[in-house]
Amino acid sequence: MATLVGRLDRVTRSTVWSVQEYFLLAWQAVRFTFARPFYATDLAQQMDAIGVQSLGIVLLTGLFTGMVLALQSSVQLETFGATQYIGRLVAGSMIRELGPVLAGLMVAGRVGSGIAAQLGSMKVTEQIDALNTMGTDPIKKLVTPRLLAALIMLPVLTVINDFVGIIGGNIIASAYIGLPTELYWRTVWEQIASGGFTLRYIPNDFIQGLVKPFVFGGVIAITACFFGLRTTGGTEGVGQSATRTVVTSSVLILVTDYFLTQILLAVFTP
Amino acid sequence: MTRHAEDGPRTARLTDTAATVPSAAAHVAASPAAALEVDGRTTGPEASDRRDEDRREGGRRAEDDTGAGEDDELTAREERQGARVREAIRDELEPAVQGEDRSAIISLRNVSLAFDRPILQDVSFVARKGETIVVVGESGTGKSTILKLILRLLVPDTGQVCIEGRDISRLSFADALKVRQRMGMVFQGAALFDSMSVFENVAYPLREQTDMSEEEIDTRVREKLKFVDLEPDQILDQLPSQLSGGMRKRVGIARGMAADPPIMLYDEPTSGLDPLTTGTVTRLIMKLQRELGVTSVVVSHDIRSTFRMATRVALLAERRIVFSGTPEEMTGSDDEYIRDFLGGL
Repeated sequence: MATLVGRLDRVTRSTVWSVQEYFLLAWQAVRFTFARPFYATDLAQQMDAIGVQSLGIVLLTGLFTGMVLALQSSVQLETFGATQYIGRLVAGSMIRELGPVLAGLMVAGRVGSGIAAQLGSMKVTEQIDALNTMGTDPIKKLVTPRLLAALIMLPVLTVINDFVGIIGGNIIASAYIGLPTELYWRTVWEQIASGGFTLRYIPNDFIQGLVKPFVFGGVIAITACFFGLRTTGGTEGVGQSATRTVVTSSVLILVTDYFLTQILLAVFTP
Repeated sequence: MTRHAEDGPRTARLTDTAATVPSAAAHVAASPAAALEVDGRTTGPEASDRRDEDRREGGRRAEDDTGAGEDDELTAREERQGARVREAIRDELEPAVQGEDRSAIISLRNVSLAFDRPILQDVSFVARKGETIVVVGESGTGKSTILKLILRLLVPDTGQVCIEGRDISRLSFADALKVRQRMGMVFQGAALFDSMSVFENVAYPLREQTDMSEEEIDTRVREKLKFVDLEPDQILDQLPSQLSGGMRKRVGIARGMAADPPIMLYDEPTSGLDPLTTGTVTRLIMKLQRELGVTSVVVSHDIRSTFRMATRVALLAERRIVFSGTPEEMTGSDDEYIRDFLGGL
C-alpha cells in the first residue's frame, strides 16, 4: 500500500513538473520572438518544411474528405429532397471542423514527428549542448522558429484544405446528383458569409476556421519541441520521442478542438 | 536576453543537461596555493621537482628503447619536445604558484554533485594559464560531468566552479552564455550540426559571437581548417555525414577554436579513432597549447596520448580525484590502483 502511494506521488509529481516545463518552454519560445538576434533563415526553412512540404498530403486529405462528405450527405439529404444544400453542408463541416482538425492531425504526424526526431537526435548527439556551449540559446535557435512557422503555416494549410475539400464536394455533387456547379457555390457562399461582412460582424465560420488552426499549430510545435528536447537514451529514445509527439499532439488537438468550439460559440454567438 | 534574470540561474531548463539545485551552504575556501590536494599531501608541480627530473630522463630512455615499433623516431622526438614544452610552462608558472594563485584560469573547489546517486564528491583542481590538464579514469566515473560543470551546463550541489576568477555557478543563464564564449568545447562525437556544411559549422561561433564580415569569416574558417591539417577547398561544402570520423573530430576542433577562446575543453578527443588519427589529434592539442597558449582540460582514457599531451594528470576514481600530478609522477607511483590503471605501461 505504501509503495502504491509512493508511486502515485512520484507519478503525480513528474506529471506536474512536465506540464510546468511544457508551458515554460512555450512561454520562452514566445518571448524570444521579439528578442535579437532573429534567426530569419531558420524561420524560412521551417516555413518551407512545415508549410510547403506538407502541401501534398493536405491537398489529398482535403480532396477526399470533401468528396466523402458530399457523398454521405447526398444520401441523407435525398430523403428530405434537400440535395441542393450539399454545398452548405460540405462547406460548414469543412471550414469549422474537418479542415482545421484534419490538417492539424496530418501536420502532427508528418511534421511533429520530424521535429521531435530531429531535435531528439540533436540532443543525443550533444548538438544541443554544442549550441549552448557556443553561446546560443537552443530555445531561441530551434524552438522559436518552429513555433512561428507552425503558427503561420497551419492556418494557410487549413484554408487550402478547406478550399480543396469544397471543390471535392462540388465534383461529387455534380457527378452523382447532377447538381449545377453554380448552385453548389451559391449555397457554399451562403454558408460562409451568411450574415454578411461588416467590421462588427465577422461570420463564425471565419473565426472558427482560422483560430483553430492557429492554436493547433502552437500545440504541434511546442509538443514536438518539448519531447524532442527531453530525449534521452540514444536512437531508441529518438523513436520514442517521435511516437509520443504524434500521440500527444493528436489527442491534444482533438481535446482543444472541443473546448475551443465551445468557447468560440459562446463568445461569438451566431 | 534578459530572460531568466528574475528567475535566477537555477530555473529548470529543458536544454540544460539536468537541473540541479545547489545548496546555499558556505563553501570551504580552498587555500589558493594548494592546487591539488590529495588526501592531505600536496602534489602540485613544485613538489619533488628534482626527483621528477631524474625519473623523467630515465623514463624517457626506457620508453625510447621499448618504443612500440611504428613511428619510433618521430614519436620519440615529439615526445621529447612535448616534455620540454611542459617543463618550460611549469618553470614559468612556478612563481605564480608560490604567490597568489592569479593564473588560475579554471578552478573547481570542493565540488560535489549528485543526481539519483552521487557523481562527484569534494573534487578540487586548478588549471593555470597554458596548462593541459588531463582527467583520466574508468568509464562512468563522472569525467565528462567535470566538463559540463566547467561549461555551466550543470551546476554543482556544493562547492564552486570559477572561470578566470569568477564563480560561475551563481550566474544567470544569460551571463552563463557569455562565459561559455570564453571556451571552446570539442565533443566526444564531434557534435557537428548535421544540417549545416563544414563551412557553416566552423563559422557558427564566429557568426554568433563576433561582428566579423563574411570575408573575415571565410578567411578565419580556412585558416582554422588548415591548422587542423584539413584541405579547406575539398571539404568546405561537404556535410558532416560525408566525412570520416577523424575528419569530423578535426572539424570539431576547428569549430571549437574558431573564435580563439582562451580555454579549450575536450571530451574523449581520441576515442574511437585509429592509432594514426589518434596521433594527429594528440599533436593538434599539443600544437594549440604550444602555439596559442590555450588552457586545456582533456577528459580521456587513452593513457598513451594522455602522457604525451598532459602537463598534469588527474585520476578520477570512486567520485574523487585520487591522484594528480605530472605524467612522470604518475608512472613513478607505487599506488596499486594507479599501477593497475596504467596497465602494462
